[in-house]
Amino acid sequence: MAARYDRAITVFSPDGHLFQVEYAQEAVKKGSTAVGIRGKDIVVLGVEKKSVAKLQEERTVRKICALDEHVCMAFAGLTADARIVINRARVECQSHRLTVEDPVTVEYITRHIATLKQRYTQSNGRRPFGISALIVGFDYDGTPRLYQTDPSGTYHAWKANAIGRSAKTVREFLEKNYTDEAIATDNEAIKLAIKALLEVVQSGGKNIDLAVIRRNQPLKLLESKEIETLVAEIEKEKEDEAEKKKQKKST
Amino acid sequence: MATFFGEVLSVYSRAVEEDDDDLDDENEDERIHREIEEKREVHIVWCPEVAQSLEDSGSNKLQCSDLIIAVGTNAAGFLSAYVLNTESWDAVGHVSLWNERSRGSSRQSIAPLPGEPACLFYRHRDNPAVFGCLQKRGLSVMVLSDSPVAEYKTPDYLYGSAVPFLRSLKSSASKGQALCPALEQPNILTGLPAAVLSHCQVHQIPAVLYQCYTDVISPDSITMETFKPALLCLSKLVKLEPCLSADVLRKFAIITEAQSNLYT
Repeated sequence: MAARYDRAITVFSPDGHLFQVEYAQEAVKKGSTAVGIRGKDIVVLGVEKKSVAKLQEERTVRKICALDEHVCMAFAGLTADARIVINRARVECQSHRLTVEDPVTVEYITRHIATLKQRYTQSNGRRPFGISALIVGFDYDGTPRLYQTDPSGTYHAWKANAIGRSAKTVREFLEKNYTDEAIATDNEAIKLAIKALLEVVQSGGKNIDLAVIRRNQPLKLLESKEIETLVAEIEKEKEDEAEKKKQKKST
Repeated sequence: MATFFGEVLSVYSRAVEEDDDDLDDENEDERIHREIEEKREVHIVWCPEVAQSLEDSGSNKLQCSDLIIAVGTNAAGFLSAYVLNTESWDAVGHVSLWNERSRGSSRQSIAPLPGEPACLFYRHRDNPAVFGCLQKRGLSVMVLSDSPVAEYKTPDYLYGSAVPFLRSLKSSASKGQALCPALEQPNILTGLPAAVLSHCQVHQIPAVLYQCYTDVISPDSITMETFKPALLCLSKLVKLEPCLSADVLRKFAIITEAQSNLYT
């Protein structure tokens, strides 16, 4: 059925599909989950840590990368493609600083990445980038931003989103739980990101990596101890909720 | 022929072939093919007690009431991990083969190694009727096989959460409900599972086949668990391991290193 139309990226199928782009989106689903949350004064990126081999250096397997001091991104999909996209984005950030003498806005760098991805869906002999990215940061007017790009080269702004393996489940969780009270403080926003990841991550806090950017502060990667503390807080809150519900039922 | 950059199409000519010089070459190819064909062999080796009972029964047939065949890495892994691991099964024989497509080893007395094209027969210790050799009466057959989901043709889009899933096919002699939807058109089966099912259909043997569509290339524990409902109907005869330890699963579900660095 699709067989004759997926060999060349520049060929549309009779019903209007670009199959290579859709297959690239399937490649994204093979990467582990990443979630992004836009708070009021903070933006949070949480990722499910990949299991590393015994002899592998853990620090070199990173899903969250800084593009500039005020922008960072998490990706899901092909590792090598992500490295290329990140390098080009980093160069563009510095080039923008030099020519325009201003740091990039989050939307500008997202548009640059998305345009790069789109170019690879229209060139002959090249395949699309097999990654989706969540790009977070603050603009110089202090507004927090979260954008998501996908292999087709589209990008959109989000309040909270997830990409990767169980993105659908996480997104549904976020749709139910992303409220103004849930992101009222920085800590609450971080806990919401962890809660969203715990829906799909097995074995809890030690498989989660978290990065935050606060307004006018550089990117901060949380240490595993801090994450464990937050996970413990979340578990305690869950138990208290369950207790309260039990008491309500019995009275 | 119009095509995109880089594609090479071989164009077939409708002109009748008139040259006779190619005949010799063709003959040589044919000769080589024939020689290789003659070398094809299939060896069946039974363990001594089964070989003995084969001789005793005179007709070279073995008692069998239920035959379970697993084709494919995930199906075989499922059977090994969930059923054969309960330690009440004996390996009673094996079939090894050699043909130009799948070259097995030429040793006949030693059991085949994993990865070689072969088939191992297991018999349940307490109920020696559960296993098999092809005897026509009183036999019911179940085939488990797996297949990549990319080969599943459907007009609807398959969401990630639906995979892996089971589909079934039955011979007309098989009564009773299959535990999952039937395989929809235009999907077809090929290979050993198809041959077994065709044979059962022709000889009126009740047979049911469960095909699992999965999106992982290597044996994987989630895919193997999808086969669990298939053995429920045999649960009186065959004991299933209720829950597997991680060690057992790790033995059967090989995680390929190359894959784990490709996607992050």
